[in-house]
Parts: sequence; C-alpha cells; structure tokens
Amino acid sequence: MPRLLSRRTFLFTGAAVAGTAMVAAVGGVGLLSTVDVDGLESFVDGERAVLNAFLTIHSDGRVVVSVPRTEMGQGIHTGLAMVVAEELDIPMDERLSVVFPTELHPAYSNWFNVLGVRPEEASGPVVWVGRRVLGLAGFISTGASASTMAMWHPMRVAGASARQMLIAAASARLGVPVSALTTDDGFVTHAASGRTLSYGQLAADAAVLSPPEDPALKPAAQWRIIGRSQPRVDLPAKVRGAPVFGMDVVLPDMLHAAIRHAPVFGAELAAINNEPDVRAQPGILDVAIVNRRQVAVVARSWWQAEQAAQLLDISWTSTDFDTFATAQMSRDLNAALTSDDPHDAVDDGDAEAAITTAADRVEATYEAPFVTHACMEPMNATVIIREDGAAEAWVPSQAPIAVRQGVYNGASWADVHPASVTCNITMNGGAFGRRSDQDVVAQAAFLAARHRGRPVKLIWSREEDIRGGLYRSHAAARLRAGLGPDGLPLAYDIRVTAQSAIEGIAGRNLPFNPGPDGDRFTVEGLDKPYYTVPSRRVRSQHVPSHVPIGLWRSNGYSFNTFFIESFIDECALAAGADPLAYRRALLRDHPRHLAVLDRVAEMADWGAPLTPGRGRGIAIEECHRSIVAQIAEVTIATDGEITVDRVLCAIDVGLVINPDAVVAQMEGGISFGVTSALMSAITFEDGAVVQSNFHDYPIQRLANAPEVEVSIIESDLPPGGAGEPGIVPVAAALGNAIHAATGRRIRRLPFATTQTIGLRRTRSVLVPEA
Amino acid sequence: MVSLTVNGTSLDIQADAAKPLLWVLREELGLLGPKYGCGIAQCGACRVLIDGQSTPSCITPLGSVSGASVVTIEGLSDTEGTLSDVQQAWLDEQVPQCGFCQPGFIIAATALLAENPRPTDAEIDEAITNICRCGTYPRIRRAIHRAAAARDQA
Repeated sequence: MPRLLSRRTFLFTGAAVAGTAMVAAVGGVGLLSTVDVDGLESFVDGERAVLNAFLTIHSDGRVVVSVPRTEMGQGIHTGLAMVVAEELDIPMDERLSVVFPTELHPAYSNWFNVLGVRPEEASGPVVWVGRRVLGLAGFISTGASASTMAMWHPMRVAGASARQMLIAAASARLGVPVSALTTDDGFVTHAASGRTLSYGQLAADAAVLSPPEDPALKPAAQWRIIGRSQPRVDLPAKVRGAPVFGMDVVLPDMLHAAIRHAPVFGAELAAINNEPDVRAQPGILDVAIVNRRQVAVVARSWWQAEQAAQLLDISWTSTDFDTFATAQMSRDLNAALTSDDPHDAVDDGDAEAAITTAADRVEATYEAPFVTHACMEPMNATVIIREDGAAEAWVPSQAPIAVRQGVYNGASWADVHPASVTCNITMNGGAFGRRSDQDVVAQAAFLAARHRGRPVKLIWSREEDIRGGLYRSHAAARLRAGLGPDGLPLAYDIRVTAQSAIEGIAGRNLPFNPGPDGDRFTVEGLDKPYYTVPSRRVRSQHVPSHVPIGLWRSNGYSFNTFFIESFIDECALAAGADPLAYRRALLRDHPRHLAVLDRVAEMADWGAPLTPGRGRGIAIEECHRSIVAQIAEVTIATDGEITVDRVLCAIDVGLVINPDAVVAQMEGGISFGVTSALMSAITFEDGAVVQSNFHDYPIQRLANAPEVEVSIIESDLPPGGAGEPGIVPVAAALGNAIHAATGRRIRRLPFATTQTIGLRRTRSVLVPEA
Repeated sequence: MVSLTVNGTSLDIQADAAKPLLWVLREELGLLGPKYGCGIAQCGACRVLIDGQSTPSCITPLGSVSGASVVTIEGLSDTEGTLSDVQQAWLDEQVPQCGFCQPGFIIAATALLAENPRPTDAEIDEAITNICRCGTYPRIRRAIHRAAAARDQA
C-alpha cells in the first residue's frame, strides 16, 4: 500500500507543517521545544499532589487517574487506569477512580490518529512537530479504535514515573537507599526495618521532585493487572442509574431547549408561520432561529419545549435537492464506477493485463446504503456563557476540541465571543463516531448566548437524531478478478464510489480541508495486501450529495470489507474451492492472519454439515492493527425470514489489557454489524430522510440476538484496536452464509426488510430476488 | 395535583396531568435513572415499575398513574444503598457498555423475575423487548439467569 500511505502522510504532514509555521510565527520554535508534551510535570495543590498529567494522589491515599479519552461503552477508562495501576503498584480497588480531565493538556492530544504512529515508535521531525502542534491545539479526540494503541505507553510511563518519585520521596524520608525500597498495594516498604509509608503520605514530597528521565517499566512477566480481566470502573454507577450522561446534567437556573432541523439538508428557514401560537404555549421562553437553518424552542422544561416544537409550522427555502431520492444516489454512485479520472489508491503490478489474459474472470457490483448511528442517548449539549465571558459546556462528546470550537462558533451567531471555554465530557450513551462533530454544541451555545448567564440544555428528539445527518455514506463498488490455473486470483481491480467523509468532517470542523480525493475512509479495507495476489489495483471516486457525511463505527471497512470478502467468496466458488481453503491459500505468506482464520474455523467446526436451509459464511479483515475473522451461521425459512443462529469470532488484537473488554467489544460489534447488515438503511424521498425512530429504523432486539463466541489469540505485538474490528467482517460473513444456505448472492445491503413484531422481536425477510 | 408513591415516598405532584411520567420523574423529581430514548415506547430506556408492572414511562401520562406505586432504578437498591440482586447480577456479568439503556433493562428483568422466578431463554426473549445499541444482549441473558439462580439458593 505504498501509495495509500504516502498520500495520507503527505496530507497530514502538509497540515502539520502549516500549523508549525503558524505556531512558530506566534511563539517561535523555542516555545515548541518547551511544551510539556509528555505531561510529566508535577506540583502540589492543597492536599492533592499532581504527579503528572495522568495521575493525582490525595493525602488520604486516593488515586485519581486522568483518562483523556471518552468513555462511550468501550471500557477505556478501566483499560487505561489498569495500565497506570500496574506500573504504580496499586490494585484496582476503591482507592482508584477515573476522571476525564477538563484541562486540554498537550499530553492528551490525539496526534496518533493524525500521524498514525504509536508514541513508543514515534521519531523524526514530522512526529516531533506534529505532536507539539497538535498538542498545543488541544487536539483531543476518541475514535478510530486508537485509544489503547495511542495511550497505553504514555500512561505506563506516567504510572512508572510516579512510582519512582514516590520511592525517591520515601528514600529521603527514611534515609535509606532507593534500592532498599519496594512498592506494593499503594505503599512503599523498607523491608529491612519493617517501615512502611503510604502513597498518600508520600505524594506531596514526591510531587516536588523532578520526574525521572526514563523510568523503568515493569517487565511483562511481573504484570498482575494487565492481561487479567478487571471489572469496569464505570459500571457500579451505571447499574444504579446514576446521572452520568450528558442528558442527565442538571444545573441551577437551567433552561431547556428542543429543536427542528430543515427536512432537506441545506434548506434555510423561510418563515415561522405560527410563532405567536408557539410562544403562547405553557412554559415557553423563546423561539429562536439558529444560524438561519434551525428553529429552537426554549422552555422551563424539555417536555414543554418539545411539545411546543411539535406545533411549529415552518416554511423552508427550496433547494436543488428537493427531488433527491435514494434511487438517484444509487444511479450516481454506479455511474461513477466508470468515471474517467478516479483516484488511484493502490496500483501494484499490471492488474488490467492480468485480468484480460486470465482464463477465468469474476466480476460483480456491490452497494451499501446510508446508515446512521442511532446512539441510545439522543444528541444533546448543555452550555452556559457567564456574564464575564467564560463559557462552560457539558457534552457527551468524543472530541473536546469540537466542543470548544462548537461553543465559539455557536456563540458567534449571536455575536457573542466567549473569553474561554471549559469542556466537561460526560459519559456518552453510545457514540459510534456521531459525537465527534460540533453541531449540537454550537446550537446550544447560540441559545446560551441568547440567554446569557443561564445554562441551556438542548436535547434533540429521537426523530431529529435519526434525521440529523452525519451518516455513513452510501457506497458502491465494482470488483473484477482474473483467476489463474489454480483458481486463485492473479489480479484484482476494484473501483469504489462514495461520498468522502474526510471532506465533510474537515469542512465542518477543521481549519484546513484535504479535499475528497483519496479519502482513506472510502478505500480502507478494499486492498488486502496479506492475500497473496500478484497484481492489485484500487481506485476511488468521490460522489457528492447534499447529505452530510461523518464518522461511523468502522467507516469504510463497514462497506468495503462486505464488498471484498463477499467477492472473494465468489472467486472461491467460481474456482470450485471451499471458501475457507481458498482463503487459507491466499494467506499462505501471512501466518498471523492464518492463525486467526484457523482459530475461527475450528470454533465453528467448519466442515461439519448443516441441515437444509442453514448456511455458514466466513470473512476476515485486518483493521486498526488487529486481525479479526468471523463465521456466521444462519437459517433461512421458506418465506425468506433469516435467523442469525450464531457468530464465532477470533481476534488477534495484539497485547490485551482487559480481556473481558475485548470480548464485550466483539459481542457488541457483532450485534451492531448484524443490525446494519440485515436492517439498516437511511433512505430519501423528495430530498428528505424517510426514517424517524426505532419503528422504521429498527435495531436488533434480545429475541433476535445470536449466540456469540469470542476467542482471543495470544499475541506478542503491542495493543491494536478493538472498538471497530468486531463489526467489520459481519456483513460479508452473513452474506456468504446466506449464499451457502440458499444459493443466492445478495450484493446490496441491507439483506432484508425488517419489521418489529409486537415490539418484541425483529422479523427480517430477505429482499426478493431481482 | 396527582398523588402517587415513588420509590416508597408518597408525593403530591403539581404538574400537567398530560405530562409523561418520564418527564415528571426526570424534571420534577430529579430521578434521572429512567432515560429518554425514543418517546414512543419502542426502546424501553424509560421503563419503570408501576404497581410492579414494567411500563414505558415516556407514553404514560402523569394523570393515569394517580394512586399508583412507581419504582424507578433508583428505588431498586435498599436504603443502605445495597444493590438489588438483579443489579448485582448486572455487575457480576459486566453487562453494560455505554449503560444508557440499562436502567430500562434492569427494570424489565426485575418485573420478569417477580412473575417468573426461573425463566427460560424463550421466556426471557418474550419478556425483554428493550433495545440496546451496544449489543449487550448475550450478557443480559446471562445476568437474568444468574439473578434467578441466586434467588434459588437464597
């Protein structure tokens, strides 16, 4: 993939260099050198000792770990606290707690997501510049399955550094050499004299010492926490129903707001036809036009605001998209599969010649629809802009940088310019990429600016949430392969079309825009360099629409792996080969991948016969530095109803911090993947989204949940990602299973039409044959 | 004014009788455990016990529960804060991911076990209709069985 990588590095390097020039112009390169990007500076603040940016110890022995990554269900607060606790030598007990820091410390920045290098592997001027620039910019975000990958090493160092400082403090206090001291259970012990000091007793002394240059890390053989499942630190509050989510924020004197967006993206407000009537409803304090594009109702309670918003009679401007329908997007995407000037992502060997001269050729066109996140917690944000200009926001967000920017932007629509913004990141009731943008934050900030001095909590109704955009793009692909005499591909040539996610995200959130061409989210997953295929070509074409596109759990992999892993099955069947044996042959040069494939085949007892009407399908992908393979088993009834009986999953996620959290991510990812493959589509009529709530955007329910079994492969590699890989192979494994059961190859998602029966279960019936 | 009992406390509530119980609980009583997820009784995040029955509070007008006994997730643990056996099973099985929908699931499971102390998988499927977007369903099944088994041994 050299071209793919070089393109991406170029894009972001360009941005980093531009940013450096900007920072250098303001503060000089000297300032960059002095930035504490590692967060190891320490200080004492009252009875608490801040030993570094990740770790505070109170005099009573309580340890507070600052985890600058959003907890949205993936268990990251626990996983990263485990890493700190391991190095610090304290157990995961009630003395330890986790906070999301409000400070935007450079050490928290997510330069990993931009530069694509683990901190412990980072070197060179680009990384040096990038991490300092992005650090100064407060570029903190949670996504791309990267939190453990990016943070585990810095947080290990933070724990080890603090432990060494505590030992040094004990050494001075007891007058004994450091080498005579040991740590355990939150205490430093001098075995020879039997004297013991708690971390709480030592923390203030330790905090005035200099952090060690290169603290020794605990060897893996001595680990007692890493690699052993630990209970999630956030769950006791969650099973009590504690108010930990953004929606639960309650502040003195708070106002509540509901909102209505234009039904057609891009339309502007023409008129509110009944504003006096709406204002006359009980509890209504304000009806506000937001940035020309939405209407918000502010009230004493959200129920009052939403009731009044339901009465709004709004006229919107007409747009060029008022006749837009899903079929048109489908035609545009398919037409663009033969566009004249696609962007080359991979061009390795002469694929065209190899395909043209091959004895057997396989060719197929695939498609996947727009889909949305449908987080259980609808989008919301609470903002106050105080009289002195200090703004504060409480948001279930994946990106404090988007919160901060959203507050500035939204307030500016009311001509208010906050002097500062404090970001409080709450627990997220699901996120899946949806909470990386500033949309709801900016709206809340605008309302807060209109009601200066009072907090305003804006909650989107479920209908606004489903229709609120930032979807995963509709996408299509045409795949061609030429097979050699042994039936294996000599070459593949893939064209993919989608609307660029990067262009939309950058346009809404960043000061620079790399543009749509070569968007990695459009092509990721299509090229399989670990399959031994002599010639490979992948090209993409951006197809714009009026629909705003955003991040969606696993992004391009969510459609591309469906395309390529279904197509590989088609190649196998064309060659008369068993799909597992065919993939084994393709993976012959990649033992790490082969081990994952073999593990899942063993779990499923791949060769065992199934009764008629049942089928088994397999798929494998490498993504987010993990390798995941799944086998789905389905039953297709005579009327076409599909039951997913079970899904087996093997994953090599590198070093595993919290095994049960990885299992949970696979279980959840599989559920998410089954829902989208069978049920999910956002469709358009007359320019507007058709779906509105869970009755027409169904989600798998308990009665339909398949049995899931997960196996984690032992691995010596550093941690990979777990948040997204679980969903990635699901659609292809299901499609391949449907083919095995019925002989039908369904090349378009979703596979079925779904009804919810008596609110009890979903009934998904395979789409009729064309 | 509507009189009812919430988590064992008798209350007289001054609010619009048409206001859904969910918003009365959240906005008037500060009980934020029941969640707004859909507003149309599809997802179950708002479920509470009304006279022991698991009920979606988002479509239940305050006026319809006059004289009733309402129990929210906050009312399941005892006065010392000890978790109910269902909540404990949820913790033991490490069920929640994001956790937003889980109060509704815990309420639904509490009602199920009150009626059917040893439900089969099929009976669980029949009774538990809530939506979890994170996909915690396998653990929810296990947690219900665990709570049932714990009661058997108690």
